[in-house]
Amino acid sequence: MTGIDRRTFIRRSLQGGAFALGGLPLVDLFALPALAADAPPVALRKGTDIPALVRETVAALGGMGTFVKAGETVVVKPNIGWDRAPEYAANTHPDVVKTVIELCLEAGAKKVRVFDRTCNDPRRCYHSSGLEKMFAAFGDKRAVLEHMDRRAYGDVAIRGGIVFDKWPFYRPALEADRFINLPIAKDHGISRLTLGMKNVMGVIGGNRGVLHQRIDEALADINLVVQSDLTIVDATRILVANGPQGGRLKDVEVRNTLIASPDIVAADAMAATLFGLEPQEISSIAAGARRGLGVMDLQKVRKV
Amino acid sequence: MGTRGWRRTSQLICLAGFLWLFVATEYRGLDELPYPVGLLFRIDPLAALADLFAPGPFHWASLWPALLLVVLTIFLGRFFCGWICPLGTTLDGSSALLKSPRSKPRPGWRKAKYYLLLTLAAASLFGVQLLGLFDPLAIFLRSLTFALYPAYNSGANGLFDFFYVHQVPVVSDAVNRLYPFWRDHLMAFHPPAFQLGLFTLLVFVVILLLEKVERRFWCRNLCPLGALLGICSRHALYRREPVELCGDCKLCTSACRMAATDEAGHARSECILCHDCTGYCPSERVSFGFGKKAPSAGVDLQRRGVVTSLACGALLAPSVMTGPPTWRSNQYLLRPPGAVDEEEFLQRCVRCGECMKVCIGLALQPALLQAGPVGLWTPLLVARHGYCEYNCTLCGQVCPTGAIRHLPLEQKKKEVIGIAVFDKDRCLPFARREECLVCEEHCPTGEKAIVFDEQQVLVKSEVRTLKIPRVVKDRCIGCGICETKCPLEGASAIRVTNEGESRRKRDAWV
Repeated sequence: MTGIDRRTFIRRSLQGGAFALGGLPLVDLFALPALAADAPPVALRKGTDIPALVRETVAALGGMGTFVKAGETVVVKPNIGWDRAPEYAANTHPDVVKTVIELCLEAGAKKVRVFDRTCNDPRRCYHSSGLEKMFAAFGDKRAVLEHMDRRAYGDVAIRGGIVFDKWPFYRPALEADRFINLPIAKDHGISRLTLGMKNVMGVIGGNRGVLHQRIDEALADINLVVQSDLTIVDATRILVANGPQGGRLKDVEVRNTLIASPDIVAADAMAATLFGLEPQEISSIAAGARRGLGVMDLQKVRKV
Repeated sequence: MGTRGWRRTSQLICLAGFLWLFVATEYRGLDELPYPVGLLFRIDPLAALADLFAPGPFHWASLWPALLLVVLTIFLGRFFCGWICPLGTTLDGSSALLKSPRSKPRPGWRKAKYYLLLTLAAASLFGVQLLGLFDPLAIFLRSLTFALYPAYNSGANGLFDFFYVHQVPVVSDAVNRLYPFWRDHLMAFHPPAFQLGLFTLLVFVVILLLEKVERRFWCRNLCPLGALLGICSRHALYRREPVELCGDCKLCTSACRMAATDEAGHARSECILCHDCTGYCPSERVSFGFGKKAPSAGVDLQRRGVVTSLACGALLAPSVMTGPPTWRSNQYLLRPPGAVDEEEFLQRCVRCGECMKVCIGLALQPALLQAGPVGLWTPLLVARHGYCEYNCTLCGQVCPTGAIRHLPLEQKKKEVIGIAVFDKDRCLPFARREECLVCEEHCPTGEKAIVFDEQQVLVKSEVRTLKIPRVVKDRCIGCGICETKCPLEGASAIRVTNEGESRRKRDAWV
């Protein structure tokens, strides 16, 4: 990321929102950062010991200290969308979440907040995903698993948005210093796969279903606002059919793989190959690359 | 502390316990609820009566406390009304606030409750069960569920929101810190809202306002549960002396909250053992105890009235059944998963509203006339409002009368509530050739009941590949998540109909 830090971005976004509400012309929010200028690093690691795997993958990118500085507030955003146990591969594995939080705290994070706007009942999802239990045993009060606060959504203008010029976003996700995106790689009807870019739907408000009408450009739109500092795709097990909710173990393939990159498009592109797909076959990945969110061409990424 | 003190303590503890059970009847991370408020209905003889007259064997295992209450009443008298009933306690409170007038006994009015009980019981025997409409426990729980609790939640949320939006120094910080605890323990997780909230509240308020006419108006004149317990307590062994009205005072006739003592003497079936008279009797003549040989003034039910009530009840059933079966005329009549066949369902459901209180997705709503003329306050699954959560069995757990069976999770997941049907005039891929598939995304059956076919379609002389959704009949259980999540505004473009519901008994000859 260049040019603008998160706090400035928030301040300007909120100013923009205020102007929009007043019916005044929008102020310029920010110039699109030239995200894709250099070849982004992408790490792919395999292993059955999840904590070790997470540490190894993040270390390949230079360690968590590259992304999280001392005293920062970090949002870790796993997929907790469904009322499913971890083995069904509908939610990010709790051990992946746990180790990422540990890494953030070790890097000096002041606070780590974890939340997701779920599809099933949030209480059931937080419980069944194993995260509630993991947090109960975690012991470090700097890390919290929170239910979304319905009052904390606010309209944000999307400069350069193709489908939407504004949309309600979850403010705590925008106000944090860092946003770490922890999707799980899954089959999905309308978008073919759900990966990092789609996982950001968990921090937006409103009637999310309408995004499906132009899912590729809509996902690019919201990812312009919520920019992931680091994307770690959980492919320890992946859901290859009946996604994104799943529910049958026969649709789950154990891959013992993690993919991480500061470039969300590159991470998603690499994850697509796990399903035997070319990145350009996933329209949202193609849209992300086209819209300047990152690099889709795996020849042009730096595999670390 | 005298007996009156104990009675008041008992009333308050029972009311508080009832409210605690009520608030605890919500999903808080456990698939099985340890203390649903439905426990209260296990001591309810009217619920037992409904169960007795419904098809199938009597549920001894869950309803034995109701029989125990009857037996205790036979020995002790109507202590339930004076010491336990939460509606009675609320009415005492209302009476104090409204300053009920001291009134004369009206023997004619108080007979009404016996006739009502007989009518309801006869109707129930002949297949139309309306006991729940007048059951004081059901009334109280319904009022809480549909009106008071939503109003409280709305008020509390409004207050929290105010201090969240407006940064009042010190206060806002404190209130915001309190919010997560309050939300997780003392409020509903999802703010509840019910279609019949206002109507239910109105009924409740009328019952409270009747205190302005006389104390315990409802209990004296209308309550069928009070009538049942009154009949049981006619020969109770715990008795009051004197039975006769003393010639020099007659304070009892106007001071008794139940008007149990009149010129004819003390009527045991009307006395709720509040023990007030031991206090206000200026000569301290009144006492209660066992082993007293005192007779009781009876309830002068007339044979004509009894026969008329029974006949009315018996005739109610064929009158109601003149209409066509409701499931035929209303294809959107959906019942909670595990509900028994509609006819039996109406005989079992006591309209306590507990399934609707506990429903995790706010999917269940009370019926007005959607379920026919006698379906008032019975639970409907309104899928546009909320859906049946795939892994949840709470409504079956809390139902006190077996109207909704408590199915094991694996069986519940296969229980067909209905089937989803597309409205192709509104559904985006059909009607506007746009992408959508939100229904397919949310479909919870392991192998999805909503699938899609890729079709080449012509849009403005351009061939486009579109994913067209389709319902697979053998997999759809009618949970309604597709209808809830359909992103169209207004009515959903996919709706669950009751076709193929598991519970329906299919006639052999139609």
